[in-house]
Amino acid sequence: MGSLMIYREMSTRKLLLVLILPAVIIIFLVIIGPIAFAFILSINQATPRLGGIDLKWRGLLNYIHFFFQDPQFWLSVRITMYFTIVSLAVELVLGTGIALVLNKNFWGRGFVRAVVLIPWAVPTVVNARLWEWIYAGSSFGALNGLLKVIGALPEAKNIVWLGFDVPFAGVPLLSEFFSWMGVSRALNMIILADTWKVTPLVVFLLLAGLQQIPESLYEVASIDGANAWRKFWSITYAYLKPVFLVILVLRTMELFRVFDIIYILMQYSIRVVGIYTYETGMKFLRFGKGSALSFLVAMFILAFTLLYIKLFYKEEI
Amino acid sequence: MMNISLLNKKILKRIGLYILVILILLWTVLPLIWMFLSSIFPYKELISDRVDHWLPSKPTVRHYMSFFDPSKEISSRFLASLRNSMIVASTTTIVCLFFGSLAAYAIVRIEFKFKKAMVMSLMFVRMLPTITLIIPFFIIVNLIDTGLIALFGGNVHLYDSKPLLIILYISFTLGFVIWIMRGFFLTMPRDLEDAARIDGLSRLQTVFRIVLPLSSNGLIATGVLAFLLAWDEFILALIFSRSDAAETIPLFIAELGSQYIHDFTQISAAGVIACIPPFVLVLIFQKFIVSGLTMGSVKG
Repeated sequence: MGSLMIYREMSTRKLLLVLILPAVIIIFLVIIGPIAFAFILSINQATPRLGGIDLKWRGLLNYIHFFFQDPQFWLSVRITMYFTIVSLAVELVLGTGIALVLNKNFWGRGFVRAVVLIPWAVPTVVNARLWEWIYAGSSFGALNGLLKVIGALPEAKNIVWLGFDVPFAGVPLLSEFFSWMGVSRALNMIILADTWKVTPLVVFLLLAGLQQIPESLYEVASIDGANAWRKFWSITYAYLKPVFLVILVLRTMELFRVFDIIYILMQYSIRVVGIYTYETGMKFLRFGKGSALSFLVAMFILAFTLLYIKLFYKEEI
Repeated sequence: MMNISLLNKKILKRIGLYILVILILLWTVLPLIWMFLSSIFPYKELISDRVDHWLPSKPTVRHYMSFFDPSKEISSRFLASLRNSMIVASTTTIVCLFFGSLAAYAIVRIEFKFKKAMVMSLMFVRMLPTITLIIPFFIIVNLIDTGLIALFGGNVHLYDSKPLLIILYISFTLGFVIWIMRGFFLTMPRDLEDAARIDGLSRLQTVFRIVLPLSSNGLIATGVLAFLLAWDEFILALIFSRSDAAETIPLFIAELGSQYIHDFTQISAAGVIACIPPFVLVLIFQKFIVSGLTMGSVKG
């Protein structure tokens, strides 16, 4: 190109600055800066005082505290693990099933697909309060009413859905395991409520993936005499693997740090790590410990992500 | 014989498929229908034995009207929270979309030193729970407000203000926007940009006259997702707002009712109204949203 062109041209470096600098400045001010501050808090004992804060150096003691001296921390981790793993399993199985159905040809498919996405758009708070009302533990509750109508529940009985009964209460080993995990009926019902809202997202990500699979592959497999199960694992699953990885990573992030729905329905009585962090940091104003806890949560999520990548791409690494 | 049984099998399969579709539809819409019905029930009838009260005998729009009736105290709080949510969510979306898409474009098209580190840190920031940001912000806002009050008196403060919420919402939306737009630009062919450059447009002109208009699909998708994210936010509003000045609609709904009485006619009505903006967006932009979600999942 001519020298005139070069003269008029903005250098790559300058262009980069113009495009990226505003975003970088914002990120430093509202994300990196506060995170760095949070890290400093996490290695201190931070006591609020009027118009400021007193810091006392503690090194890694805040982190060590949670790991070795705080049984509540590990209980919170177990509850959160249960919440995350069970939610993921239900969302994936239900989501895959619905996606496979919606991928078939049937009358009104466009309409059904549009409707199925709607729960995902319900704000989390609205979803929480909607299910709070469905789960109402009196005879007013819709779930109790529905079960009575279909005859699954005697007329005079009402189940307190958001109660603290441990599932499988009579069964020896199972009930002990669940109570050790911190599982309650309320937790299971919250998983159901959350799954209702989030499964559409899983469905739509999978549907987008399903549409990439060439129909001819299934035809060839049929000619070779493969049954439906075999076709699912060697074609559908193989093609959807990257989508599954994305769903696992995205959903684990959201599930492991869950806060809104549990706080609204149960306040501090189901202490998943998100609730425990909030309680430590903002209710008891232990800024140092709260910050340490929040970094530990991120570490767990990071560990999950690495685990998935390792499991899914074992062959390639 | 053979053909008939094959045909029967096919018909049975069709019937099975439609039964599954109906089950999926029921699972999806029954809770929503119940929310809507609850909102038009008279209060006394809603708190009665469910088995024989599934439909309101005299449907009422009273609970909706009370939100728009200026003589009721709840109306001013509700309308303020609706307005606050609109202002905060749309401002956040516009700011993040503008700066975020420019940054994403630069990340995809220009080679620079800390590119990889930047992309990785964007990912890591998404793994932090919101509370990581809340604690430092809480302290910083307190410090700034102490200073502001000393300088200007009690009327000027950051806490419980819309600008503060917008800043906080930007903090979790900007990274999200950059991430998704990055996925979009990764799949966008370069040819047109190169052609525009040869036609004599400067690089910056190319970005504003060619790249951004060509990205309208990606921008719409990302914008809708960012708006939904901001509309949905709860925990930041819970801590950093308190009054009509900043309270958002999720906070209003979360706090409806008291320790003793939860009036679910009112809660449901507010819930239905809060659902309208996201529902409209999702129904209009469904295709865009799905493509946006897929863009966000492009492998880095």
